[in-house]
Amino acid sequence: MIKTWELDPSFKYEIMKEPGGEHITSCYQCSTCTIGCPITELVPDYNPRKIIQMSLLGMRNEVLTSPDLWICLICQTCTARCPQDVRISDLLGAIRRIAEKEAEAGKLKIDSSRPLFDKAFQHQLEKHGRLYDMGLAMEYYPKKEGSFISGMKAMMKDYKDFGMRMFKKGKMGPKAMLPVKVKDRTVIKKIFEEMGEK
Amino acid sequence: MSVSKMAYYPGCPSEGTAMDQDMSTKAVFEKLGVELVEMDDWNCCGAAEVEDPRLVYALNARNLAIAEKEGLDIVTPCSICYYNLERSNQALKADEDLRTKVKGIDNSLGYNGKIRAKHVLDVFMNDVGQDELKSKMSKKLNIKVAPYYGCYLGRPRETAFDDPDDPVLMDRLIELAGGEVVPFSQTKTLCCGGPLMMTRSDIAFAMSRKILDAARSAGADCIALACPLCGMMLDGKQADIEKALNVTLGMPVVYITQLLGLALGIDAKKLGLNKNAVDTKELLGKVV
Repeated sequence: MIKTWELDPSFKYEIMKEPGGEHITSCYQCSTCTIGCPITELVPDYNPRKIIQMSLLGMRNEVLTSPDLWICLICQTCTARCPQDVRISDLLGAIRRIAEKEAEAGKLKIDSSRPLFDKAFQHQLEKHGRLYDMGLAMEYYPKKEGSFISGMKAMMKDYKDFGMRMFKKGKMGPKAMLPVKVKDRTVIKKIFEEMGEK
Repeated sequence: MSVSKMAYYPGCPSEGTAMDQDMSTKAVFEKLGVELVEMDDWNCCGAAEVEDPRLVYALNARNLAIAEKEGLDIVTPCSICYYNLERSNQALKADEDLRTKVKGIDNSLGYNGKIRAKHVLDVFMNDVGQDELKSKMSKKLNIKVAPYYGCYLGRPRETAFDDPDDPVLMDRLIELAGGEVVPFSQTKTLCCGGPLMMTRSDIAFAMSRKILDAARSAGADCIALACPLCGMMLDGKQADIEKALNVTLGMPVVYITQLLGLALGIDAKKLGLNKNAVDTKELLGKVV
């Protein structure tokens, strides 16, 4: 049951201020996004239309703590089909960023390791200017598992076979252990400082 | 043919898990007589993990400015890089304030909106053109192919260069090379699950399995694709998917640049066809 006195009617405006969230009020709840969603096909409870409606109603806490936010593939199927141009892929990204900011401020807990992964990716990119798989895995897994040792164990479990396979094909030699760096890294750092989340 | 020289944006996996895509892209363009100039000191496009559009635009303003200095349009073999480069291009072109703001970060981000970014498939079919491609093909592919497009080639609308629900450019290219396109319309634009690989591998594997299963039941000899993340999921991780879900798939997966390269008579090794995780030898026997 929705407790109307707990709703935050300004939530939709908060979302609209975040890049990607501008079009949320165009939604008329037709469900085209959800009917075509490949995640809904696998996880029947996953419902982007419902996330939008809950946001419009102001169910701020329920939306921002919903684990469903983190299983969107950003595959753009919903965006391409939406008759109201709500740009749902971008919209969910905007809501995810609000949730991340709130989690960083200690105001809520996110039930997914995806923010950790995205942050680790961005951190590596800020450092090197390019994707560095090894550095990313070394940063992500310990954070996800809570300690370096258990992180390395989980990484080995996930990537031992894959790594060996790539090594045999000459795709993961000693070179892959080291990052390929952009020469002008000060600019990349400046981009993150100026445009990144404050 | 309306194109003779392009700025090449290889994308981060080009030196690792997708080096076969990089090798075949270079070899094919060389054969087609289009010079690729690798962009000097390019940076990552932000992939799927940088979700803040402001960051994506600024990161790619730097890339776009590098190519603009050379006066060349960008070509990339990666669907995600293409999407990020071209949507940044469109946002920067349309918004002078954004251009000014981005240039304020550093002069090297000063982009004037004079070029555009393209995906290799778009360049092959719409710039080089089918007649030119056909005239350079020396081999026939007696291969049944499941053309897999994934995301970003046909959607979203602003950057798409093919139909969102039933894209056809890869189908046409395969047919041009004498290959047979198996019925794959229901599956060709499904996401591979790649963006969830590191956080929900159960979902990612189930997504990839659907595509591999569909190709198998359609009677395909191989899947053709055009994105290194799809390549990593469907080819690189196929054995992991088989193990995790206790299934046998055994479906060869090749980049569309590798298939085109074979039709153009380029040596299989030069196309990196010995580097695909699922063996491609059987396919090579069907190139005549």
